[in-house]
Amino acid sequence: MTATALESQLVVGATLFILGMIGFLTRRNLILIMLSAELMLHGVSVNLTAFSRYHGNPQGQVFTIFVLTIAACEAGLALSLILSLYQRRKSLDVFLWGKLGEDDLPVLSSPIAPASAAQADPNVDLPHLTPAGRMPKTQSGTQAKT
Amino acid sequence: MQWNEENGLLLIPLGLGWLAVWWLMPAVKQRPRILGGLSALAAVLMMQMMLLPPAGEPVRNGLFFLFAAAAVLSAGLMITDKNPVYSALWFALVTLAVCGLFLLNSAPFLAASTIIVYAGAIIVTFLFVIMLAQQSGTTSSYDQQPFQPGVASFVAFVLLGALLFTLQEWGGIDGKNLSDDARPGQFVAMPAGINPNPLSQAPSDNPHEIGSLRVLGRSLFGDYLFAVELAGTVLLIATIGAIAIAPRRSQGTL
Repeated sequence: MTATALESQLVVGATLFILGMIGFLTRRNLILIMLSAELMLHGVSVNLTAFSRYHGNPQGQVFTIFVLTIAACEAGLALSLILSLYQRRKSLDVFLWGKLGEDDLPVLSSPIAPASAAQADPNVDLPHLTPAGRMPKTQSGTQAKT
Repeated sequence: MQWNEENGLLLIPLGLGWLAVWWLMPAVKQRPRILGGLSALAAVLMMQMMLLPPAGEPVRNGLFFLFAAAAVLSAGLMITDKNPVYSALWFALVTLAVCGLFLLNSAPFLAASTIIVYAGAIIVTFLFVIMLAQQSGTTSSYDQQPFQPGVASFVAFVLLGALLFTLQEWGGIDGKNLSDDARPGQFVAMPAGINPNPLSQAPSDNPHEIGSLRVLGRSLFGDYLFAVELAGTVLLIATIGAIAIAPRRSQGTL
């Protein structure tokens, strides 16, 4: 009887995972969101090593090494993304990035382009997409204004 | 009613943990943090009382509970701290505690590499980004207003309760099944007619040897050679992507 019970290790792993999930869901700082994702990975790693010891083969530890590799990749990519996002809005608040569309692109479903599109661009800091392809012809013969 | 008698005791630490996380979350109106801390301590202590195995080495069990409590409490403080710098430092403490758990699970190489990769590289990079982005030193308004902390932590603790109940049904965290000795892996059966990889044979009968470099290297470069190559490719692509995404100095520094 040398090992601590497997179940208690699983409980610790589940608790770490859940705490990371709470941080991921509630916090609004971009860096804290990424740190919470790393916390969830820690919980999974505890589970994997516990099962590796329980079954007496090294596969769980090998999986943990792969988790470590992916965590390193994820941290590098996430930090460069956060830096370029911060450069655009000068803030780490994730609520500033809630809107996905662009205001000045034409809405193709409605025949009349919104009047506010011609006014001052509210999203100067966003990358601008030029409309590509042919404009579909509507039934009435009037084309949407680009 | 029988279900209540068997599982109802788990509800108390779960509820206490939810209260602690919800109470410790940063808010505009400052709450006294001592209440949340006491609630969290009570929850962790109750869980440890329920998890206590009746037999075993006292030193090993003591170390396990020390590391587990350190990991869980530091994780709670990390997700509830108002200052992101302190959060990163608490995360470093979580990493150290998890490495202690790795050591107890006879994975010394994994513990060393986790400390090197996480504490040496990832947390330092996170701290650099925090220092670049928040130079004023004051906590921002979005750090003081988390998004629906009560509902999110309630749902998360319901999920945790479901996991714990499943564990209790499966093996019994209250000591129903404690035959936990290391046993040879049997759940991957080699099909008949296929020669097994000689590198991936069960190395020895010593259960303490599963984390050694010899066994790990044999498994990595014997069984998982293709996955190792893929992981190297993923690392290379992530490096290229990070260099491509990161803002240039010509676009203006932070």
